[in-house]
Amino acid sequence: MRILDVLNSLTFRYIVKYVTALSATVFLLLAVLYAYFSYGYFTELRSSILDELEALQLVYNGQGMEGVEQYLADQRNLPTIGRYSYLILDAEGTKVAGDLARTPRYREFSGGWLGFQLALLNWGETVDVDFLARRESLGDGYAALVARNYADAVASGGLVLVTLFRAMIATLLLGIVGGFFSAATTLHRFERLNSELSGIIRGNLSERLSIEGKKGYPRELARAMNLMLDQIGSLMQGVKLVSDNIAHDLRTPLTRIRNQLSQLRQRLDPAGQDEVDRIIEDCDSLLSSFNALLRISALESGSRAPVQARVALSGLLGDLAELYEPVANDKQVSLRLEIAGNVECAGDSDLLFQMCANLLDNAIKYTPAGGCIDVTLAARRDTVEIQVADSGPGIDPADRKNVFRRFYRVESSRGEQPGHGLGLSLVQAIVHYHRGSIALEDNEPGLRVVVNLPETSPRD
Amino acid sequence: MKVLLVEDDRTVADFIVSELARVGHECTHCADGESGLAAARDNNHDVLVVDRMLPRLDGLALLASLRQEAIDTPVLILSALGDVDDRVQGLHCGADDYLVKPFAMAELLARLEILSRRGSQSGSEVPTRLQVADLEMDLLSQEVRRRGEVVNLQPREFRLLEYLMRNAGQVVTRAMLLEHVWGYHFDPQTNVIDVHISRLRQKIDRDFSPPLLATVRGAGDCLGAG
Repeated sequence: MRILDVLNSLTFRYIVKYVTALSATVFLLLAVLYAYFSYGYFTELRSSILDELEALQLVYNGQGMEGVEQYLADQRNLPTIGRYSYLILDAEGTKVAGDLARTPRYREFSGGWLGFQLALLNWGETVDVDFLARRESLGDGYAALVARNYADAVASGGLVLVTLFRAMIATLLLGIVGGFFSAATTLHRFERLNSELSGIIRGNLSERLSIEGKKGYPRELARAMNLMLDQIGSLMQGVKLVSDNIAHDLRTPLTRIRNQLSQLRQRLDPAGQDEVDRIIEDCDSLLSSFNALLRISALESGSRAPVQARVALSGLLGDLAELYEPVANDKQVSLRLEIAGNVECAGDSDLLFQMCANLLDNAIKYTPAGGCIDVTLAARRDTVEIQVADSGPGIDPADRKNVFRRFYRVESSRGEQPGHGLGLSLVQAIVHYHRGSIALEDNEPGLRVVVNLPETSPRD
Repeated sequence: MKVLLVEDDRTVADFIVSELARVGHECTHCADGESGLAAARDNNHDVLVVDRMLPRLDGLALLASLRQEAIDTPVLILSALGDVDDRVQGLHCGADDYLVKPFAMAELLARLEILSRRGSQSGSEVPTRLQVADLEMDLLSQEVRRRGEVVNLQPREFRLLEYLMRNAGQVVTRAMLLEHVWGYHFDPQTNVIDVHISRLRQKIDRDFSPPLLATVRGAGDCLGAG
């Protein structure tokens, strides 16, 4: 499988979506966790500072400044972890006690909280450490500042972040791998279903989807689709029956009318004969569009056996050109051929001849005297390409899709050119029957019809 | 010409019978496959016209059992199913010609005439020369002369003339010419054959009289109508 196929595959696109959704979820979860962790830590930090200030206040109230100094000295001997820093100032702002030398430069937060950085010695290195502090008055002009550093919080916060990030990467990787394995089988099956189904739509409606596996949605889906195909098949059978009935019930009386007219004609004088001849002509054109319509239905119903024979297209186009050359010549339209030798394809020679005849007939019809028509046959990779290009008025791009519709005729040609408006519909039906493609292009000026047919039958 | 018609559609059958009688042919009619097969076994008809879809015994089955019994009366299959598959199937079963309904009576008549003639000619050796009035064709040297003068023809014109000469005096329709001279069964939207006929007429008739190639209105063309 080529890279592009992988990138375009349903599986890949599904996994990309899945992983994106997964990472968004994981990211959101981690962000909430981090916010919750920080909020909890700082709430704890603040309340511990408030507790310490309250303790100082109690000591001061009971034992005065001496008690406070004693309390601070006692604190020094405690283990350093989570230790508080203190500064007691008098009314003039000079230091009375505490381990901080002076009031540091601080930022003020809402609610009377202060934040500052101090350089501390840690394992022989100076490190800038963040502190949260609060100042309260103790009474008698004294004020106490209690600070506590949260370096450990920053450190563990960072650690948490890194851990969370790693966890996220791991989740993603696991997600991709897990997603791939869980989705690939199912999605691959869906893709198979899809390609089988489009094969059936394009080709033989009597084929069915293969039903694999023991259970699961794809299997149920394949079953339902097969049921649907059965129904379509029986409906089409009905349509075919109806069209056969039309053939049998309506064409026969039409023919009878035509034959009775030709009997009647023989008993008439020349003027009457001319009149009847016109009616017979109308009858014939009605019958001819009837026949064309039934042929199109038969081809489109997919009820025909698929093509098996090989058709020598080079010879076929040569015959066609030879058949139509006098007509083109009479109209002073030159017919130019560029036919590669020994080009073959899988097909039905009568149908392909009909297809090319309709195209060439149209081209001759719409090309003015002095114009030219190019018929080209070339072998492409896996396909053969037939082109019929004329120098007539062409078809407006907006009209190009419509001309394949049954009975549709380009407005400007209505009434000017004979025909029942089924020629291109029949061409398209023949092309589809051969599993080929048809395109109308601008020949600048004129119309170029490009037909591509598979070189081998898809069954080979 | 004695024709056996096996056709279940009453009106179509009546019409064919009366039309054949009008131009002087004898026609027996059977309405189902079994009686048709029984009548065909008598083997005294010049040509058989058999509908494809018949009650009791299908047209193709009738044909197959006929051929199995080595009865080789020429058979024309008549059918509303016009697709190539059906025609190939019909010809494969031993039919000599296949005509799709609806058809013009002139078309059926032209084909029956040619079939019945082929039936009576069978066994004679393959000719190397064809002649119609003062028009001669040498099939070996591929030379055509009229009143001794060489007429230059394109290869396709030669084959067209050959088919007309082989069926001289018979009306051949455009569909027959497309089938036998060009080898394709298709429905031309315009009368492409007419131009070829008029070119051929230019070459064999312009400098000579009487004209040999005549167009029969509403039917087809005929070489050496006399």
